[in-house]
Amino acid sequence: MNLSGGITKRRTFLKGAGVALLLPRMESLGQVSESNSPRRLLTIVNHLSFYQPELIPKTDGAFENPPPLLAELSDHLKHLKIFSGLDNPAVQNGFGHTPCVGILSGYFNKLHRKNRLSVDQAVADLIGVDTRFKSLVFQAGENLNFSQISWDKHGLPVHQIDSPRKIFNLLFQVDENEKAQRQVLAEDRSILDAVSAQAKSMEKHLNSTDRAKMDEYLTSVREVEQTVKRRAYWAERSKPSVDYELEDFDRKSVDDYVATLLELAVLALQTDSTRAVTVQIPFWEGFKEASLSGNYHDLSHHGQKKEKIDKLLMLEHAILKRINDSLNTMKARQVGNSSLFEQTTTLLTASMGSANSHNFDDLPALVFDGRMKTSGHWHRQDVPMSNLYLGLLQQFGAQRDHFGESNGALDLLA
Amino acid sequence: MRRPWTALLTGFLLSGILQAEPKLERFFAQNCVKCHGPEKQKGKLRLDKPSGAILGDKELLETIATVLEAGEMPPEDAPQPKGEVVAEILQTLQARILAQRPDNPLKRLTRAEYTHSMQDLFGINFDLTGLLPPDHVEHGFDKFGEAHLMSPHQLMAYLKTARFIAERVLPDAKPQATTWEFDARHFHGSKNFATGGGGDFRDGDDYVLTGFRPYRSNLHFSIDTESHDQFVIPAFGLYRLDVKAYSEKSQEGEVIGINLGDGRHPTSFRNIRRIPMPHGSKGFTTELTLRTGDRLAFTFDSARVPGRSLEKGKHKGPAMRFSHLRVTGPLIETWPTEAMKAILPKPKMNPAELVDHIALLLTQRPLAAEDQKAFVEIARIQDKSGASMTATARSVLIALLTSPHFIYKAESPELTAVERAHRLSYFLWNSVPDANLLNAARSGALAKDPSIQVERMLKDAKSSRFVEDFTRQWLQRDKVDDFGPDVRVFKNVRRMTVDSMGREGRELFRYLLEKDLGMEHFIDSDFVMANDRLARFYGLPAVKGDAFVPVKLPAKSERGGLVAQAGFLKLTSTDFATSPIHRGSWILKNLYNERIEPPADILINEPDIRGTTTIREAILKHQQLESCSRCHSKIDPLGFALEYYDPVGRKRNEYRHVEELPADPEQTMFTKKIKFTKVPIEAAMTLPNGREVRDLPTLKTALMADKKRIIKGIIGKLMSYAYGRELTLADRPHLEAVYESTADKDFSLRAAIHAIAAHPAFGRK
Repeated sequence: MNLSGGITKRRTFLKGAGVALLLPRMESLGQVSESNSPRRLLTIVNHLSFYQPELIPKTDGAFENPPPLLAELSDHLKHLKIFSGLDNPAVQNGFGHTPCVGILSGYFNKLHRKNRLSVDQAVADLIGVDTRFKSLVFQAGENLNFSQISWDKHGLPVHQIDSPRKIFNLLFQVDENEKAQRQVLAEDRSILDAVSAQAKSMEKHLNSTDRAKMDEYLTSVREVEQTVKRRAYWAERSKPSVDYELEDFDRKSVDDYVATLLELAVLALQTDSTRAVTVQIPFWEGFKEASLSGNYHDLSHHGQKKEKIDKLLMLEHAILKRINDSLNTMKARQVGNSSLFEQTTTLLTASMGSANSHNFDDLPALVFDGRMKTSGHWHRQDVPMSNLYLGLLQQFGAQRDHFGESNGALDLLA
Repeated sequence: MRRPWTALLTGFLLSGILQAEPKLERFFAQNCVKCHGPEKQKGKLRLDKPSGAILGDKELLETIATVLEAGEMPPEDAPQPKGEVVAEILQTLQARILAQRPDNPLKRLTRAEYTHSMQDLFGINFDLTGLLPPDHVEHGFDKFGEAHLMSPHQLMAYLKTARFIAERVLPDAKPQATTWEFDARHFHGSKNFATGGGGDFRDGDDYVLTGFRPYRSNLHFSIDTESHDQFVIPAFGLYRLDVKAYSEKSQEGEVIGINLGDGRHPTSFRNIRRIPMPHGSKGFTTELTLRTGDRLAFTFDSARVPGRSLEKGKHKGPAMRFSHLRVTGPLIETWPTEAMKAILPKPKMNPAELVDHIALLLTQRPLAAEDQKAFVEIARIQDKSGASMTATARSVLIALLTSPHFIYKAESPELTAVERAHRLSYFLWNSVPDANLLNAARSGALAKDPSIQVERMLKDAKSSRFVEDFTRQWLQRDKVDDFGPDVRVFKNVRRMTVDSMGREGRELFRYLLEKDLGMEHFIDSDFVMANDRLARFYGLPAVKGDAFVPVKLPAKSERGGLVAQAGFLKLTSTDFATSPIHRGSWILKNLYNERIEPPADILINEPDIRGTTTIREAILKHQQLESCSRCHSKIDPLGFALEYYDPVGRKRNEYRHVEELPADPEQTMFTKKIKFTKVPIEAAMTLPNGREVRDLPTLKTALMADKKRIIKGIIGKLMSYAYGRELTLADRPHLEAVYESTADKDFSLRAAIHAIAAHPAFGRK
């Protein structure tokens, strides 16, 4: 039996190249960087990880006999580097899923905002200036305290949009309340004018330390002005129209969510609405496949029971199949003078080595990039996950030699 | 009185410093530069620079003075400068420090201050969690301007919060109240997924919560009996809940938690209220401010660990039976509301009048003429577009609540009367001052003698915000339950007991404050504050009910004082291991008010201390490394003395080394095998002053011997909370003055607060 076929039942995926309109850049902001193939980042995090014996090749080097899970990605093995055994030393403490919040930061301390910046946001800071959204972070379902994985440079949580409908509306739907929205935006702008005028006049009476503080306020006002401007700019314009119908579904199916979130992610990148998208694969107990007894979270605690592992593998095959499909879609879509795939680095990682043992070392990371010279598998016992993040950041042009707990940088394009 | 003296001193000393500079440079060159110079830069520090550069660096100056004074540098094995030379250098440094005024960077309102200000200004009790980001805590408190980062996200949150508040305090129309009734048919409890069954169930007209571990039971309810869709609050406002429920098989009563969140996902809760259900209680009525979209759930924890038995037999332990629930709201008592009357005292106000009125209402400070213009413009545009007076006021309120005028605390170098009233009010009420306090400030009475106001404010119920907020941060009470307890190891520690542990420190503080008792009770005491659970946990005479009362300790009890509190002992441990280093450094930081930070050039890995003797050896290695020993010779003995107390604060006689065995294929995650090995405890160590500490009683004796330093440490904590900044050596005269003035009052906590507010330095930025 085709395992993944067992649960794939819904939807006809986007037919052909359904996207009609590529978003214009924001000339009004005067920040257009001219390049026909901008770099993009798609980050996919699976909290529950994968059953590694079926994913990770036994040996280092080129993929010769890809294990069954890896075989799901066989269309893209030429452009895939797998790192296994990575460690996230900062998130080893704790019980349950709480430490997962630091997975993209490579570092996490509940008490300190310092160093919380997550790699997707660090990249978005570099490439998200011109687009309608600096980044988009998707998650499926309720925002649980441990599912916050994106942190901005101030160490504050980045809003994670929790329903496909909201994402779709944000990207493509004309707001039903548009008139009211426009009024709010207009009012926001006059409020921002007033408060920044006040901040400027207050600054004059402050000592140098406090002036620096007030400058943080002013800087923030300016950034928010940009955001509001971005919003107002797009409120005036037609949204990119896509030949895509979002299927409404009530049931919380992992397969449905992954498929939908990835479709939306590809559309967001393709329309240049943003260049950095982060997707979390749903993992909480409520998620359940109609055709499969047992929920995903429970199955991941398989306790080495064969029947549970088999069901778990069906889900994991389905997830990887969806990812494979998305990568194929990205290859088929031409944006400017190259394909979306060629422009995009895709990172797939997990916050635990195995959901069965809840360990925070032995992490797998898969990097897809059309530019890499050699593909294959590298086992990197005890190498910090941050080294991979640093490598990724440098590849996006970051001028930094440290990220999270890094003690070096992995070369992702070698 | 004191100012002329300081000024005089400053003038005199400044001239002294100019002469002393070559002396300083010579001292550094002879004693420090070998390790902090061109060859080595221990601690990433260089002292081979002109003394002007050193004297100009406040933080560096502070560090040098501190280590010289404590005799920590030069290190023991290095040649030591003569005592009188060090004394002379110290004098020069300290004079320089005293002449400086410590930085007190611009502060913004914390989330608690913002929330309570709204409460006192507009009579609304809004919980702004989720709207305003949590505040960054640095060096212990979230009130420090230094740590108050502003970010676009934060600013956007202010804007959103302002709009949220304005739309609610100035609604266009009166909201209509509705009543909903729910009974057992509408209730849904929690099922135990981990063992594949068991959990809560319906029993006739009752719904029974069994409170299984590790998540507790959660009761949610739906309008449609057929669906499990949780009832959703339809509109913002005050709601009344009438609940019929009772506990069974419970001796001492239970506690119901009211939570917001998805009832099906039990870890996503935000606990918003705890309702004690004493033995014999038949239910409760409570009122809550709820938001559109909020989902309510009731939580109950019977401390029952899910075993395989739950699948088979019925629950036999304590349970909570729910039979009926009525929800009514949003409740409106008066119309127009108090807030509407305060914001719009007249039916018609012109734009400038409106702006001035709201600005003054918020902060008691008028807007500068040049700032006013842009806000008036907002009102004028609204006015011109034909908006109602309410809508116009709403826009102005949003703008002003987002502006620096409201968000930042105004503090002139010498505080004005209004600013002084605010400082005192943020200190003791976490909110804006009331009319009485403002009058006292404006008449000059507050600056002359604040004791009447301080006394009045401490007696006001609003002072419990200070007790709550200060102790939460000082004692990290909110972190007590951050780890476990691991249900596999601490089977008998109930969730509500842990919750009580988190409250004990606050209750001790409250009691000392109310009864005018001395601060040495924080070090050791012949009584503890306990409720029913905690008294039982400590093995003390029974206490009835959830409220904390003082309980006299039996002669042989080791409890009493902060370091014997289970909350502290648990806070400083992980899931199943104690951390002597964590405990020792907690004592230094929070009782002695010492600043200890890892040296800048050393990467520290948290050692894994699961109670093996070799770990003790590993930790002791620290003390041999010079860069570590400076702090660890102080930290480790304090922490090891507490090794007779386990991670949840229970007495133990040996370590139970916990080992997780590889997963047994037949087991689920919660019943995974754990292996215990017993290992003897070795706790005795010697403090740098030569005193041996070997257990909790000897530790408390040692701390009592340091009573003066510790009481000063606690006063220092209170002062930095009040000022919103860290203390420096420049604050020493103030600290000494407060200490001296409480000395003849048995070091009363209340007297210390009075003395802090009465000191002239309280009136300076």
